[in-house]
Amino acid sequence: MATASNSLMAELIHVDRALARRILGGDDEAFRELFDRFFPRLYRFAVAHLGGDRDAAQDVVQQTFCNAIERLDSYRGEAALYTWFCQICRNACADHFRRNGRGGARVVLLEDQPDARAILESLAAPESEQPEAGAWQAQVHRVVVATLDALPGRYGDVLEWKYIDGLSVREIAGRLSLGEKAAESLLTRARTSFREAISGMT
Amino acid sequence: MEREADIVESLIRNAGRRVEPPDDAYQAVFVAAHAAFREKTARRRERFWGLCAGAAAVLVIAVALVVQRTPPVATQSELARAERLVGGVETATGDLWRPLAATPVRLTAGIRIRTLADGRAAFTLAGGGSLRLTADTEVMFDAPGRLYVQRGTIYVDTQGRPASERIEVVTPAGTARDLGTQFELRLAGSALRLRVREGAVVIDRGGHSLTGQAGEEISIDDFGSVQRATIAPDDPAWQWAEAIAPMPDMDGQPASALIAWVARETGRRLRYESPLVEQRAASVILHGEVRHLAPIDALEAMLATTDLWVELDGDAMEVRARSQEPTSP
Repeated sequence: MATASNSLMAELIHVDRALARRILGGDDEAFRELFDRFFPRLYRFAVAHLGGDRDAAQDVVQQTFCNAIERLDSYRGEAALYTWFCQICRNACADHFRRNGRGGARVVLLEDQPDARAILESLAAPESEQPEAGAWQAQVHRVVVATLDALPGRYGDVLEWKYIDGLSVREIAGRLSLGEKAAESLLTRARTSFREAISGMT
Repeated sequence: MEREADIVESLIRNAGRRVEPPDDAYQAVFVAAHAAFREKTARRRERFWGLCAGAAAVLVIAVALVVQRTPPVATQSELARAERLVGGVETATGDLWRPLAATPVRLTAGIRIRTLADGRAAFTLAGGGSLRLTADTEVMFDAPGRLYVQRGTIYVDTQGRPASERIEVVTPAGTARDLGTQFELRLAGSALRLRVREGAVVIDRGGHSLTGQAGEEISIDDFGSVQRATIAPDDPAWQWAEAIAPMPDMDGQPASALIAWVARETGRRLRYESPLVEQRAASVILHGEVRHLAPIDALEAMLATTDLWVELDGDAMEVRARSQEPTSP
């Protein structure tokens, strides 16, 4: 499984590097593709890291894109391009806190905590057994959203279409212009990636 | 495997759909990020050609100074040309703003322009048409036919552009696309106001399209509510744009060309006193130029040496010949 994951990651990084090269070459379509793929995910990432401050998140994401584009020559494909953007976004969040004199007020996210897995597992318990079920639910919601956003390619979308929108494999195949077998395989890989990403938090 | 799918399904279902960011945030960040992208790629191109120039120079020396060759020079296509500048007008390619020099100035991709509280500016666009900025406005030229507006009010006249080269005005609150027209666009925060003087304009905002026809004013407030009103082509509200209209070169042109231009600039219906006067206007050739005057003033100045004159009558402009002018009692 590890080999399959590594191979998938290598393939994605190859695609990301090609995308970065196209952007640096002035390809407007490539820029729009990247922006449309990353903006909603980075926005949610920033909102989570800034304690729900949407105005600040907009500023931070804008700064992230500007900084990332400026430094795009230095992207060597050590990680997925989205992961690279997230690191720049984290730095922009830190700058935001510094500028606003809130160095000590950084939001500590569940996914950064060592007991994240335990909290996730607790979700399976009946609500009445949980003393702060509402707060935990919100935390888990954010972790699941962050995980879906961090998944490569269209995995997050595919899982959302399947489990939130209730689309059949045939309908997903239609949306992605794929055969049914390819869509089924994509869904399986998406589920596996999601499970591995959640497990990787512990 | 089935249990694994159940757990994944349960977690995703419990979390619910991921929230989409607001459209205005998307637009605002897109404009800034795209500007950064354009600046970055423009700088890379310049550096590339600089390196080419260096390599060419080395090659020329190595080949023994026999033939003098000119190294490649970085050139960027001109997107617009500054024609009229009034009051404070500044330009920047990075973060440093400096006063825009005397006209005409060639403007290329990535160049930003802003007018100060007392500033106004007019540009001719490569490919035809003009762009005008009133006070406290900031724009960036991006590509042929594409312009970013960060704030303020602009006026676009696309006369003379081929149908295949429409103008696209991108703002944080929506994108306007012309359908052969004269229009004004005002951006205040995330509120947008479109006034269409001639032709039609389509506004795309958050996945929805609105079309404004000639004589229509469309206002979209911060919350996306749309209000429609009417505005006549000769409404005084257009006067700021008329006052700074970049005048085409009229030297050697028939008087009828200048008359038609002024009628269009002032939103008035054009009529001639008689077919004879119309023929006369087509045969009188103008010499010299009168730039930096408002259209009506320019027309009066140019016609002063002919026997033609104009009379403004409500929303019409009538051209008469002095020889046919009724004699005062």
